[in-house]
Amino acid sequence: MNIAETAVPELAPERAAEAKQRLKLQKWRRFKSNVPLLIMFVPVAVFFLVFRYAPMGGLVIAFKDYNFFDGVLNSPWVGFHYFEMLFQDPRTLEIIRNTLFLSVLSIVFGFPAPIILAIMLNEVRSMVFKRTVQTIVYMPHFFSWVIISMMVLTVFSLENGAVNRWVEAFFGEPYAFMYNKESWVAIFVGSGIWKDMGFNAIIFLAALTTIDPSLYEAAGMDGASKFRQIWHITLPGIRSTIILLLILSMGRVMEVGFDQVYMLQNSNVNEIADVISTFIYRTGLQGAQFSLTTAMGLFESLVALILIVTANYIARKFNEGLW
Amino acid sequence: MRATRGEKIFYVVNYILLILVALSCILPLLNIVALSLSDAKAVMAGQVGLWPVDFSLFSYENLITGTPILNAFWNSVQITVIGTLLSMAFTIMAAYPLSRKQFYARRFFTMAIVFTMIFSGGLIPTYLIIQSLGLVNSYYALWLPSLVSAYNMLIMRSYFANIPSEIDEAARIDGCGEWRLLFRIVLPLSKPLLATIALFYGVGFWNSFMNVLIYINETSKYNMTVLVQNMIMSNSMVQDFSDPDLIANLTPEGIRSAAVIVMVLPILAVYPFLQKYFVKGVMLGSIKG
Repeated sequence: MNIAETAVPELAPERAAEAKQRLKLQKWRRFKSNVPLLIMFVPVAVFFLVFRYAPMGGLVIAFKDYNFFDGVLNSPWVGFHYFEMLFQDPRTLEIIRNTLFLSVLSIVFGFPAPIILAIMLNEVRSMVFKRTVQTIVYMPHFFSWVIISMMVLTVFSLENGAVNRWVEAFFGEPYAFMYNKESWVAIFVGSGIWKDMGFNAIIFLAALTTIDPSLYEAAGMDGASKFRQIWHITLPGIRSTIILLLILSMGRVMEVGFDQVYMLQNSNVNEIADVISTFIYRTGLQGAQFSLTTAMGLFESLVALILIVTANYIARKFNEGLW
Repeated sequence: MRATRGEKIFYVVNYILLILVALSCILPLLNIVALSLSDAKAVMAGQVGLWPVDFSLFSYENLITGTPILNAFWNSVQITVIGTLLSMAFTIMAAYPLSRKQFYARRFFTMAIVFTMIFSGGLIPTYLIIQSLGLVNSYYALWLPSLVSAYNMLIMRSYFANIPSEIDEAARIDGCGEWRLLFRIVLPLSKPLLATIALFYGVGFWNSFMNVLIYINETSKYNMTVLVQNMIMSNSMVQDFSDPDLIANLTPEGIRSAAVIVMVLPILAVYPFLQKYFVKGVMLGSIKG
């Protein structure tokens, strides 16, 4: 628009009038096509206001003593009372620690898994084999945690579990995988990786197709081994995808999926398996301690926000930022 | 180019590892299929591996007659079909305007939606909103809060924006309005993507667990995930039997397995048809912007 306005004085008067006319028509056309678009967008805007932004406003009850009769607006202010409670109670501190522990483990082991799988699939020559494996490994992603937990419980069951039949054959005695903390953590992290590894590999497989195959030929000619080719060509080739997904996974450091924990946990491992999401469900919704658990939720959201913004800031230094 | 010795070893190891990964994904499922189709005695004795022992449909019969699984199945279908349709409509209504260059405040709205991806009010404030809208114990509590997934919306928006602008300019010159442009040109050109996103929403609703647990109080309104979860947690899910002979023949394991199969079957039924689409859809998601 600015360009058009500054350009006008240079033109002959009648041409200028014509240009103005055209500009007006353009604006009118833009307005006309905006009307249906705006009508279309209004319900969406209402949705985001009511179900996304209003709950953000609802976070104020973390600083209030919420009760049902006074509602969100009229409940009395208590300042940081509930945050003090959170950070002084050893039980809630343990829950925060568990959450961090499980999710950091999940990221450390779970993040490289799909990259490795994608590279392995990429090295397969037979298309039939590749497609078959892909079809199978994408599948668990679409199963609910109810199904996965059922499989896990069946496979690791103390009485008839397939794994324990082998353990019994070798060591004489079955091992209570689901009731010992160490093995529970391993199964928790492992089942999460197992469920999503295949599906998450898709994005890396897509990135791998952009690498120029002549690079491998040249490297092979120079006598570079397969591993050195992967290290020096494949990984740098998908670097920006890796960084992008790493930033996104930073945002999830504070969350451990509710379904997974809820269905795999049992009273023997609660000490390690109780996390923020199960705490909010049990203490907040079942125990009606809305303010305390909202404080926990706000803490979780804020840490996630800080982590994702920081990760993006660092990535931008390497020109790979998300925004 | 001939493969060197090292490369040959690499390929063999690679194939073996991939076969193992694939087996780990398929064997537990086969085990559950076998358990659900085996005779109760064999299940209890732990004889069932990957193939049914003493084939019997007993578990399925009891699942259908002794538990409210059919009701839960119907609930799951309702939740999934209506939820997916609503979500698709709203996601299109969000993605289409945001993909048009001439749309006012397009950047502002996009940023406002992206912000909801990195910061959220969390469970309790959302629950309080839904409670104050009087939606508790109704399926609207499942449908409305998940109308638009910001992630799916962004994928759809970039797909719409990548439709060559010559096509819609030509349509516009012919006097085609925005609604007709959307229904006659943009949507038909985006079928593979729409199938992918519908699959993502559909699977999300079919598998929804936490929201049902939180918002639905009446047991007759439970969907399959919550019902089956209750079965797994308590061994006393079959109460209707007084026949001692029947009880002796009943294994919770067999019935649970049958329930899991009933829950997985619809996903397995659509999975092969949609696989080529969702691979494409995820790849589109990797395109920045």
